[in-house]
Amino acid sequence: MLNSPAIFQVNNRADARPYRMAIHHTELETPPGRQPLPEAERPKLETLREQLQPLKELPGSSIEALYAAQELFSYVPPEAITMIAEELNIPESQVFGVVTFYTMFSLEPQAPNVLRVCRDLSCHLAGAPKLIGALEDALGVRHGHNSPDGQFTLKVVSCLGLCDMQPAMLVNLDQHGPVMPDDVPDLLDGIRNGAG
Amino acid sequence: MELVVTRNFGRPESWTLASYREAGGYEALERVLKEMTPEEVTDLIKASDLTGRGGAFFPTGLKWEFVRKDPKTPRYVVVNADESEPGTYVNRLSLELDPHMTIEGMIIAAYASNAERGYFYIRGEYGLSHERVKAALREAYEAGYLGQGICGRSDFNLEVEFRRGAGAYIVGEETALFNSLEGKRGNPRFKPPFPTNFGVWGLPTAINNVETLAAAPAIVMNGAEWFKDLGIGDAAGTKMYCLSGNVVNPVCVELPLGVSAREVIMEHGGGVPEGRTLKGFKPGGASSAPLTPAELDAALEPKSMAALGTIMGTGGVVVFDDTTCMVDVAYRDALFFEDESCGFCIPCREGTPNLVQICERILHGQGTMDDLDLLEELGASMMASFCGLGHFAHQPVRGAVSRFRDEFEAYIRGRN
Ligand SMILES: Cc1cc2nc3c(=O)[nH]c(=O)nc-3n(C[C@H](O)[C@H](O)[C@H](O)COP(=O)(O)O)c2cc1C
Ligand code: SF4
Ligand code: FES
Repeated sequence: MLNSPAIFQVNNRADARPYRMAIHHTELETPPGRQPLPEAERPKLETLREQLQPLKELPGSSIEALYAAQELFSYVPPEAITMIAEELNIPESQVFGVVTFYTMFSLEPQAPNVLRVCRDLSCHLAGAPKLIGALEDALGVRHGHNSPDGQFTLKVVSCLGLCDMQPAMLVNLDQHGPVMPDDVPDLLDGIRNGAG
Repeated sequence: MELVVTRNFGRPESWTLASYREAGGYEALERVLKEMTPEEVTDLIKASDLTGRGGAFFPTGLKWEFVRKDPKTPRYVVVNADESEPGTYVNRLSLELDPHMTIEGMIIAAYASNAERGYFYIRGEYGLSHERVKAALREAYEAGYLGQGICGRSDFNLEVEFRRGAGAYIVGEETALFNSLEGKRGNPRFKPPFPTNFGVWGLPTAINNVETLAAAPAIVMNGAEWFKDLGIGDAAGTKMYCLSGNVVNPVCVELPLGVSAREVIMEHGGGVPEGRTLKGFKPGGASSAPLTPAELDAALEPKSMAALGTIMGTGGVVVFDDTTCMVDVAYRDALFFEDESCGFCIPCREGTPNLVQICERILHGQGTMDDLDLLEELGASMMASFCGLGHFAHQPVRGAVSRFRDEFEAYIRGRN
């Protein structure tokens, strides 16, 4: 079965790719890139080193270490990857492997409010595409990017396990749903005013 | 109907130790530690026919026994709360509303499998669950249900560590979850050796779904026969079914395992919105192939679903009405698996984007009848995938073609 030609047949069809491009679908975007830490942020690296000390006693805690870095810097800068590898005594390649594996980690700076909108089946049927469109319009960015005012990062993600609140979204880790396109302005205002 | 795992959901502050104790919580653990040997506990769970609610429905008592019989130590118990299957939110409700029930089940599992260490692993997005479970673990430590010398038994210790994921559906696969716990990328591992002999850190590990563990205390209190009789026909116990999609009430209900889809969708979900008609439904999350209204009377339990060429899965029932396009539904599932494939093996890494492309061709009127055959062939090659994700990813798409073929053909013939 491994040698079945099906896989190659599909890819070899000259007409396979263009259709792909022509379609608007809500693709998940996490473009990998490595943004070095700005000079002003460097002192925080010592804070990170302190926070990593207790994790040395917990084998396998690279996810927690990455969360600590992301909380400090809003993303995981290359300097943090190097430091986590040193402090936890694991290869840097392993830390980089982990940070790129999990969708909640970002290699690029994020805004203080990360909006994660579900685009999977139940939410899709309940109107997720319209919700995503309304958020994109209100924020003035395509999903996968930070809003010009620096307040929001908009992400489109897989099922959040909030299907009873379809269409659902997270504001950082706070659950919201059902969110209709008309609810978007109030929701964003609420977050801006610190109620999110 | 008697409720098992959701019976405390309506209580005030149901997630606290005080409330759980008032409802009889941790009495099962005390009974187990006073009156039963680990062998007696596994025998009881085996007799109850409790099977894994994570989707594979493996006999739970047997799993614990395998772990206990492996001489390597320390043995581990792991709670799998990585729930990420589209259309499924049952574990989230248990974690938010009654974390102690799962913790009590976990301690009973540890006693039965002679384990002394444990991990409680929750997906990264479940923020409220993190808080509630961490608080509950703290309470359980303070009350002496966790730690050294549990309930005065100097020979029974259990240290549990809380862990969270960071966004990855595949980590729900048990061996991928072990890699995640070990601080690595969440790629699955080869089986065998199975987790019961070679789990986290290469040690014997009993890994169970939240709902499986939450059922254990009630079985201890009420007996194996009681639990078995709760199910319909051959199926034992209850299952949390949760509804979403084009349904009036997107709710979660605990019902006898083996209840008909009609009862779940029509009675508890209130059917489809007024003025619409039911077109189909998915019995258990994204991995399950959709069924038609003609199959509404089928029992939602593993055997009858397998007979229909789909799976029972997670109990996440997704409902479609006549405004829903089944080609689009297939496409959504394909997109999900394309994004969640971990990329470790070729049939799945290459196969899942191919599924997406075929659906896109068809949706844009550029598909051919050959594409439908190609799907079958592609599915066959994806059966060579390394883990369950690749084995299941093509089933919902092929299932949609086999049951709703006219919709696919309408696109292909350009009549849509
Ligand atoms: C791709 C994939 C994803 C899975 N996701 C989950 C999950 O999110 N939660 C879960 O409990 N089991 C999941 N499983 C099943 C687990 O591998 C395992 O069978 C289960 O945790 C065992 O517990 P149980 O016997 O109590 O069901 C998944 C399996 C596969 C192949
Ligand atoms: S089948 Fe898919 S998810 Fe599983 S190992 Fe292969 S690529 Fe990864
Ligand atoms: S499908 Fe959107 S939260 Fe589950």
